[in-house]
Amino acid sequence: MVPAELRYAKSHEWAKMDGGTVTVGITAFAAEQLGDVVFLELPAVGESVEAGTPFGVVESVKAAVDLNSPVSGEVIEVNDDLTEDMELLGKDSYGSAWMIKVKTAGDADFQSLMSADEYEKFLEAEEKH
Amino acid sequence: MSELHRTVLYDRHVAGGGKIVDFAGWEMPLQYAGGIVAEHLATRKGAGLFDVSHMGRFIFGGEGATRFLQHVLTNNAEALETGQAQYTMIPNADGGAVDDAYLYRFVEDEYLLVVNAANRQKDWDHFSEHLAEFDDVKMTDESEEIAMISLQGPLAGAILSGVIDSGALPEPTRNELGAVVINGVEVRLARTGYTGEPVCFELFVESQAAGKIWDLLINRGAEPVGLGARDTLRLEAALPLYGHELGLEPDGKEIAVFSCPLARFAVSFSPLKGDFIGKDALAKQHEAFMKILSEDYSLIANLPRRIVPVAVVGKGIARPPAGAFVGDKHVGFVTSGTVVPYWQVEGEGLSSRITDQKAMRSICMVMLDCDLREGDRIEIEIRGKQVEAVIVPFHLRSEAPPYARAILHDHALAIHEDRTRQAGPTKARDLLEKAIENTIWRQAECINLIPSEQTFSPMARMLSIMDPAFRYAEHKPLKAFYEANVFYYQGTDFIEAVETSLEAELRKFLGCAEVETRAVSGQMANAVVFSAMVDYINRTDRKSPPRRIARVMNNHIIKGGHLSSQPMGAMRDFIAHDPKTEKPAITNFPVLPENPYKIDVPACRELLERYRPELIIFGKSVVLHPEPVAEIRAFADEMGIDTVIMYDMAHVLGLVGPHFQEPFADGADIVTGSTHKTFFGTQRGIVASNYAETDERYNLAEAIRRRTFPGSVSNHHLGTMVGLLMATYEMNHFKDEYQPKVIANAKAFAAALKRCGMDVAGDADVGYTQTHQVVVNVGYSRATEIARKLEDNNIIVNYQAAPNEEGFTAAGAIRMGVSEMTRFGMGEGDFETVAQLIADVVNNDKPVKAEVKSFRGGFTDLKFRFGGEEFDGIMEKLHGLV
Repeated sequence: MVPAELRYAKSHEWAKMDGGTVTVGITAFAAEQLGDVVFLELPAVGESVEAGTPFGVVESVKAAVDLNSPVSGEVIEVNDDLTEDMELLGKDSYGSAWMIKVKTAGDADFQSLMSADEYEKFLEAEEKH
Repeated sequence: MSELHRTVLYDRHVAGGGKIVDFAGWEMPLQYAGGIVAEHLATRKGAGLFDVSHMGRFIFGGEGATRFLQHVLTNNAEALETGQAQYTMIPNADGGAVDDAYLYRFVEDEYLLVVNAANRQKDWDHFSEHLAEFDDVKMTDESEEIAMISLQGPLAGAILSGVIDSGALPEPTRNELGAVVINGVEVRLARTGYTGEPVCFELFVESQAAGKIWDLLINRGAEPVGLGARDTLRLEAALPLYGHELGLEPDGKEIAVFSCPLARFAVSFSPLKGDFIGKDALAKQHEAFMKILSEDYSLIANLPRRIVPVAVVGKGIARPPAGAFVGDKHVGFVTSGTVVPYWQVEGEGLSSRITDQKAMRSICMVMLDCDLREGDRIEIEIRGKQVEAVIVPFHLRSEAPPYARAILHDHALAIHEDRTRQAGPTKARDLLEKAIENTIWRQAECINLIPSEQTFSPMARMLSIMDPAFRYAEHKPLKAFYEANVFYYQGTDFIEAVETSLEAELRKFLGCAEVETRAVSGQMANAVVFSAMVDYINRTDRKSPPRRIARVMNNHIIKGGHLSSQPMGAMRDFIAHDPKTEKPAITNFPVLPENPYKIDVPACRELLERYRPELIIFGKSVVLHPEPVAEIRAFADEMGIDTVIMYDMAHVLGLVGPHFQEPFADGADIVTGSTHKTFFGTQRGIVASNYAETDERYNLAEAIRRRTFPGSVSNHHLGTMVGLLMATYEMNHFKDEYQPKVIANAKAFAAALKRCGMDVAGDADVGYTQTHQVVVNVGYSRATEIARKLEDNNIIVNYQAAPNEEGFTAAGAIRMGVSEMTRFGMGEGDFETVAQLIADVVNNDKPVKAEVKSFRGGFTDLKFRFGGEEFDGIMEKLHGLV
């Protein structure tokens, strides 16, 4: 079960809206697929991100995967604790393993993301492939 | 898409939580629940279990099999003895690789070749194409019939031993093969693997039986490992993977075989091979490769790039095919790379400890221009950024078993420099005080049980530092003077007389015709003999380059042989290479399965007949029994083998006589030895021989003189020669009492250790030992720690690798000798006390330092020496002269 209050991107990032600030992370499914995460590169505070384009990269022993921003805006906070302890990604994907907080202009990007229900159906379809 | 294959272990992978992926048409576990990092680390500290049944297994039989394999493989298949394996390439005509493979010869008339899963069909077709050119070769694909399991890591030996019904593990060196029975089924074992682990096994078993064996190994603690960690482990070991380091580059260009770091071990140009596929192209690469190794880049066009290990210094992970740069110049590309975990290490050197803390490092292999060298900095392009990296010699070392040890590019040993800036006199006083402290500790407070050591008598010690310790006395007999010795320096009458007396005393002791006394160590004495052998066998032709000793038979170093009789030691420059094996022409004595410290005499007959060694060397540094000199001499005489029998008696020189062994009476030609183990000192070496002047072999005795001086020494520590003369007087005077006492003490010591619950090596029927030595097994790879713990308790012993162990860092035995403490007056009852003290430390972890110190306090007066009032005045006079 994925948290109902979050929105989801097809590239397996989650987003949480809180006023004009969107918190971004990757889903438990993504973390499990990656396996042991060994490298994480996140943007600096003040950089701007654009919906659907990479804001960072996460690497496991096996592969490097781009992190796509679900929304556009300016990075106002980065989770430095996560870069120190990347195992959090597998343990607490929707909580302490958040990656960045983005100040957005509106909520159009956010609204276009999948709901929890839609994401679960999406995952089911993915697994059948 | 065609149906995916599954190995016989597929169900177990699924049941074990394996994440199944399609790998080269096979449904294989990428990882299990723990993940790649955990599986990698489990292999490095425990034992990893791999299903490698997806690989191809081809069997080659028939009279023509060897010829065929010589043609289609790069290595020298003919060099493989039954019971050995070798890494090899399957070359194409252009000097590239069709595949890489491992060739196993489990039985005399059949070879097993293991190839990559992805290339199985391609390899089969390639071989089939060439099969028509050869008669009587039978090739079958038995990949389905035989399953293959790999067990790798420091605990692999213990785990495997635990499931064996009968049979023994293969000899503890890489590429050795054997067979055992597990769960009622024959399993073939190879000491091979793809992880860099020094303790490594691959198991071959009929497919139906594999599942049960897999379960047994897991029950014993083996950790299943998937393809993910198999890849990180092999990357850390810098082992090539076809498709990355072999085959084609990403742009479709052929990778030259010699670009691959292992090629030099996998390609042979032995004349025995004759022509083989790709030989000309490979020979060109090889020529360039050899030049590049010596930093000559004149032929670099024939081998422009090679694959080297590279550590990423900056932030990022180098993944193939990332570009490599020096400045703006593109110098190559990454062939494999990722982040791998390693166990952090505490401390330095032998006492370093592998902790429970893991860390990660970013490493890769890079195809780089050949003119770049170890230590050069390069940059790797990672997502548009240039990241700093450095060419390293290796990422991992395997020569300190039982662990494969991660080598970090930025780790350096701590440098202990003198920061105190003390003045000379202060340092001098400090040194003197420390020497006093050390002497009191070793002479009055420790139980000294190193079998190679001996305390010399006060007289021998004093004489060693008197004049002529500061002089020169080179000399040589001249035929022009009827062999009279000619000395090159004046003032040498005294030392000349000493040397003459020393030779006479030693001749008497050994019962032989000649003794050369100028070598300054036992190892030098052996080197003198080897050099003299080369001199002697070339005596009729001084114009051609001298040939080396054609074949030597000796004790293997892991069966107690000493390095002074090994190609890695003193023999290196004197032994010929066997054209067939392309290795030093050494044959080792076979040993008894039930007592590896004893030569299997009947089994020597066939080896002697087959190899007809020019030199046979007895003698060991782990020696519990007399050597079968008389038996081997009888075999050699019976077969008419023209051989020299040498007995390196370093350890047992002081025991020569009726209580142990009389080498010349048994038929030895030459005896060498150091003079300070069971003998009474001082630290020197001797070479004794027993040829009459009329004997043709007397030429060898003369060569020994020449290869001592001027071959090995000019001056030779004259002081210790005077000391040795005194020690030899003592030995000749006291040996009838000393020798039986040493042997009785050793037997009593061994029996007492056994009663204390310790695992004493050797033949129980003879009281475990017939020498001064006692060997105790304390548990695989535990001996270094135990020896250190004993030292902390003032008991000084050697840690020692037992014959079934991979190396001294994995040592599971301690070696002890009773000669020094016997000389300090200990008797059989006292050695029972020593045994109890040792057991207290080893078995009960009880501190005994104070007890040891006080016990040793009762044994500080050296026996078996001249003394008493009549010598007091003269000894005082000697002291006064220093």
